[in-house]
This record gives sequence, structure tokens and C-alpha cells, in this order.
Amino acid sequence: MAKSTNIQIARAYLTSKIWQTFVAVLGVTFGVSMYIFMNSFMNGVNKTQDDLAFSALSHIRIYNQDNMNVYNPIESQFNQSKTIINILNRKNIQYTTGLNNSSSIVSSVKKQTEVIAVACQVNSSVFFRSGSKKVNGIISGVELEPEDELFKTSSTIIQGAWNNLQTHKTGIILGKLLAEKLGLQINNSVNVLTSDGVSKNYMVVGIFESNLKTMDETKAYLNITAARQLVGENSDYASDILVNIKDRDNTASFIQKITSMIPYQIESWQEANEQLVAGSELRNIIAIAVSLTILLVAGFGIYNIMNMTINEKIKEIAILKATGFSGNDIMTIFLTQATVIGLLGAIVGVIMGYGMSLLITLVPFTIAGLETLPIFFRAQDFLLAVVFGILTTLIAGYLPSRKASKIDPVIIIRG
Amino acid sequence: MEKTTSLEIRNLIKYFHEPETFQVLKGVSFTAKKGEFLSIVGKSGSGKSTLLYVLSTMDTDYEGTLQINGDVLTGKTQNQLAAFRNKHIGFVFQFHYLLPEFSALQNVMLPALKLGKLSTEEIEHKAYESLRLLDLEGQELKNANRLSGGQQQRVAIARALINNPSVIMGDEPTGNLDSKNSRAVQEIFKQLAQEHGQTIICVTHDPDFANNTDRIIEMQDGLIV
Ligand SMILES: Nc1ncnc2c1ncn2[C@@H]1O[C@H](COP(=O)(O)OP(=O)(O)OP(=O)(O)O)[C@@H](O)[C@H]1O
Ligand SMILES: [Mg+2]
Repeated sequence: MAKSTNIQIARAYLTSKIWQTFVAVLGVTFGVSMYIFMNSFMNGVNKTQDDLAFSALSHIRIYNQDNMNVYNPIESQFNQSKTIINILNRKNIQYTTGLNNSSSIVSSVKKQTEVIAVACQVNSSVFFRSGSKKVNGIISGVELEPEDELFKTSSTIIQGAWNNLQTHKTGIILGKLLAEKLGLQINNSVNVLTSDGVSKNYMVVGIFESNLKTMDETKAYLNITAARQLVGENSDYASDILVNIKDRDNTASFIQKITSMIPYQIESWQEANEQLVAGSELRNIIAIAVSLTILLVAGFGIYNIMNMTINEKIKEIAILKATGFSGNDIMTIFLTQATVIGLLGAIVGVIMGYGMSLLITLVPFTIAGLETLPIFFRAQDFLLAVVFGILTTLIAGYLPSRKASKIDPVIIIRG
Repeated sequence: MEKTTSLEIRNLIKYFHEPETFQVLKGVSFTAKKGEFLSIVGKSGSGKSTLLYVLSTMDTDYEGTLQINGDVLTGKTQNQLAAFRNKHIGFVFQFHYLLPEFSALQNVMLPALKLGKLSTEEIEHKAYESLRLLDLEGQELKNANRLSGGQQQRVAIARALINNPSVIMGDEPTGNLDSKNSRAVQEIFKQLAQEHGQTIICVTHDPDFANNTDRIIEMQDGLIV
């Protein structure tokens, strides 16, 4: 019963100076709503950035690159001192690149439970020729279904169809800007010249437009079988195997798991794109710094208001103590006020933060495939905002409350 | 009526250190019996209020000992003393201090709510009763700061009585009251002392009040004469 009395007193104090209470609540509200807004906005930006990046980037890439081989039989054979070795006109040997047994690797990767999709690619840099025009670019021989699973490529096709590559053995799909440069329309023919001097004609069966300009300018898709023929490799050859897993932030442990089974290089998207990771992290840090600063300022506001209240009420605190309320009771009274301010501020802040974020999604922003500013809500941001909001209030309320609980009634009452 | 000791002080000495060290109480001793109605009189500045604050356990900065109902209160912690006051001591200040944001009724009820011995309904009933006794019928729900000085003083008296404390102390509890109301308060105190065995100690400047009590203690320059 004594507890509820303290709470009643706290309520009377909160409602008697409703304006002060309102200002204090507003402080927390701003902090919490800014926290939610900033983080949701930054998440939106990060997610957009990632979506953009992952439209051309797989979580994991398996490849075989010609490492500069330092095999040197002469020097290892004649390694006694006082031997002079002079090799004239040394040549480096071209080792095979790419994977010749892709199907066995694909099947062993697919056995892992984390894997969502696996696709083989045959990539080669080539010249595209049409009439007198000659453009440098990249041919990507793809398996249609897995490729689409990885990158949703079919949704980027603006003319023709993704599946045309299946039905037309000599079909090719060009990037929009590449097609424009070459002056090619659908159903036109294009000549492709490889670095080994192989030249073949293909028919344009589709044109794609992605959100990445460089891709639209340089890339063309072939069916993987056609690509293998073009580069003169066997029917199990792939230059890259691309893997997507369920949790893309968890590539490291996945790579560790499969690395013993696969005798080739394995690269995670984080390694391949450190700047992407750094950008996300930096944006997150900014969001948290800004919102915590606001909460800190709100905390100071609450501290001041609570201090003011307690100075105003010093006589009443003395009376309460004189009539038998203990220091703890006084503490409860003022901490209850702080808690109510914190809770109210947090609740309104969550609503306002959510509303503000929704408003932001109405702002038009038409760059890189976006239509409006991106917002992405995460439950953890809401939770943390509430936790920080209430925590700030409690800390800001604690010091004045403790001061109040230590007031010596006789000094005040004696006057 | 049994005459057990209710309150006892031994050789109370108190100094004020501001603005300069100054001895207000110079070794005060007295005993109050249970059910005794005492008045303390003396010139302004003789140390009456100071003594009463020590008796009320609010002032702990003194030498000597204070004992109420057989409990030695000297040296107890602030929280222990607050709990003790809540249960055993009713106090009417020289300046009637009420909580301005609360109604007269709530002001009276608060110490009882804090004590938590009775239900809220019982406390409310009791508070109405005691406000009626003090001629405050109809004022119960007014905010304390909307009451006249005399009304506020009577609310403070009602508050001091609510927990049936064994000792009631007042620092000029009738200072703001007309003679009719003053008489009424005196009668209430007298009745409480006689019928309920509550000990009452009041500082007063009013000779009529003093003469109406069982015993008069006169103070002069920090000593009982
Ligand atoms: N807080 C204080 N600091 C220093 N001196 C004080 C303080 N309070 C009271 N005094 C001094 O102590 C002495 C006794 O004061 P006290 O208030 O007890 O007098 P009193 O007998 O109650 O007088 P009155 O009848 O006017 O109320 C006075 O000389 C006063 O100046
Ligand atoms: Mg006095």
C-alpha cells in the first residue's frame, strides 16, 4: 500500500506541472524517434546498396586462377654457392585457369544445408563486332535457372526473354548500352571474337538493363554450352562457380567448412568488396552516433527538469519525510516520474519514428533503380530505441532523485 | 490512569554553527508521562522550536539522549526515524506545511497510506471524521493551497492525528486560529490525552492555551526554568 501511495504522489506531481512533463516526454520522444528513423533510413540505404551489389555479386565465388608460378628447376638444382646461373630469355608457362570438373564441385557444394543456389559461369573477355563497330566486353556463359536464382537476371530483360537462350543455341543477350553502341536490335546478328582468335556469330535474342551502368555497357549472356564451345573447353568446364548462402554475413564459417573439399580459390563477397562492408559499417556508426547524441541531449533536458522539480518541491519533500516517508519512498516517487516520462517518451517516440520513416518513403528519389528514399525496419532498432530511451531517462532521473532522497527535512522546515 | 514514561530527554545540548557557533540548548532534561498534555512556553528565541525538532526526531544533530516509548532514538538512521515518526509521532509545524497539489483530505490521508495499516476506505473515513471534528466539513476536497491559513493549520492538525500517534507535538498549533477554533483544538488534545493516553507536547505563546494543559515547561536561553 505504501508503494502505491508513492506512485499516487508521483502521478500528482506529473499531472500538476503538465507542461514540464510534456517537455521532458518530448525530449525522449525526439531521441527515440530519431534513433528509429536514422537507423531505419541507414538500413534502407545499406539494403539498397547491397541489393544493387548483389544483383551482380554472389556471396561466394570459387575460381581457379593462374598464380604466378615460381617453379624454377635450375635454381633449385644448382643451389651450391659459387655457382653462377644465367638464364636467358626465360618464359613463363601458361597454366590452365578455370575448373574442369565443375559438376563434382557443384554437387558437393549443394550438399551443404546453408546453400541457396549454385551457378556455373564461363566468363571470357571478348570483342563484339557489328559492321565496322568493335567494342570490348565480357561474355558470360550461364546456366539459365541457377543464374536467375542468384541474380534475378530474367527481371532485367527489357526486350526478348531470358529463356530464349535455352531455345536458340546461338542466341545472345546484350546489355542495353552495349547494344546501342553496336547499333544492334533484337534478331540482329553480332560477331564475337575471343582473345584466342576464335570468331563466331550469334543472334541477339534479348536485351537487358540492370542498375549497374558498367554491366549494361560491357556484358553479354550466352548459354553456358555455347560459351564452352566458344572458348574451346570441355562440357564440364566453368571459369567461376557462384554460390549464395542463407546468411550472407556468415560466409567465413561456410568457407571454412567447404575449403577442404575444394582444391580451388574460394572468395567471399566481403573479401572481394571491402569498400561495401566499410560503407555499411560507417553508415551504421553515423546513425548510432547521431541518435545517441540526441538521446544524450534529451537526457540532459530531463536531468534539468527533474532537478528543477525537486528544487521547487524541496519543502514538500521535507514534509513527506517529516510525516514518515523514507528516503527510499522519495526516491521511488521521483524515479516513478522518470520512468513514466521515459515510457511515454519511448512509446510516442516509436510511433513518431515509424511515422517519420513512412513519410520519408514518400520522398521521390529516382537514382539507381530507386523510386523513393529507402527505409528498412528492423525489430532490433525499435527495441534498442526503447531501451536507450528508458535507460537515458532513468539515469537522468536517478541523480536528482537521489539528491531528493537525501534532503534533511529539519533544515528545510526550520526555514 | 497508568503513568508510564512516554518521552524522556537527558541532558540535551545543541549548537548552531552558522553564522557563528552558538549553544541553543544547554542541557535540557525532562520526562513526559503517557497521556500527559504539556505546554512549552518562553520568550521568542529561547529555543522552544529547536527543542521540539529534536523531540520530533527530525533533528539528529544534538548531544544527549532521546527516548520515546522506551526506544532510544538517539543514533538511529534517518530511514528508521522516518518509519518511527510515521507510526508514533504526529507533528504540527509552526508554519503549517501542507502539500499544495493535494486536497485537504489527501493531505490528511497520506501518513496513514504510508503506514499502510488500514484500508484506503477506512483511512478516508477516518480523515473525514477528523476534518469534521476540526470544523472543516465541506473543505475536504479543496486543494490545500486554496484554504485559509487557519484552515490549513487545522488540516495539519488532522494530519498529525491520523495514525493515532503515541506522541503529538505542535509548534504553536493554534497560532493562526481564532479563539473559538483554538478552544476546539485544545479540547481535542485534552480528550486525546485523557481518553486515548496520547502524550501531547505543544509550544505556545497563548497563556490561555498553556493554562489549559497539565503542565507548563518554561524555557529561557536554552534551559528549562
Ligand atoms: N537554523 C538556524 N541557524 C542558526 N541559528 C538558529 C537557527 N534556527 C534558530 N536559530 C537560533 O536559535 C535560537 C532559538 O531558535 P528557536 O527557533 O528555537 O526559537 P523559539 O523559541 O522557537 O522562538 P519563537 O518563539 O520565535 O518561535 C534563536 O536565537 C535563533 O536565532
Ligand atoms: Mg519557534
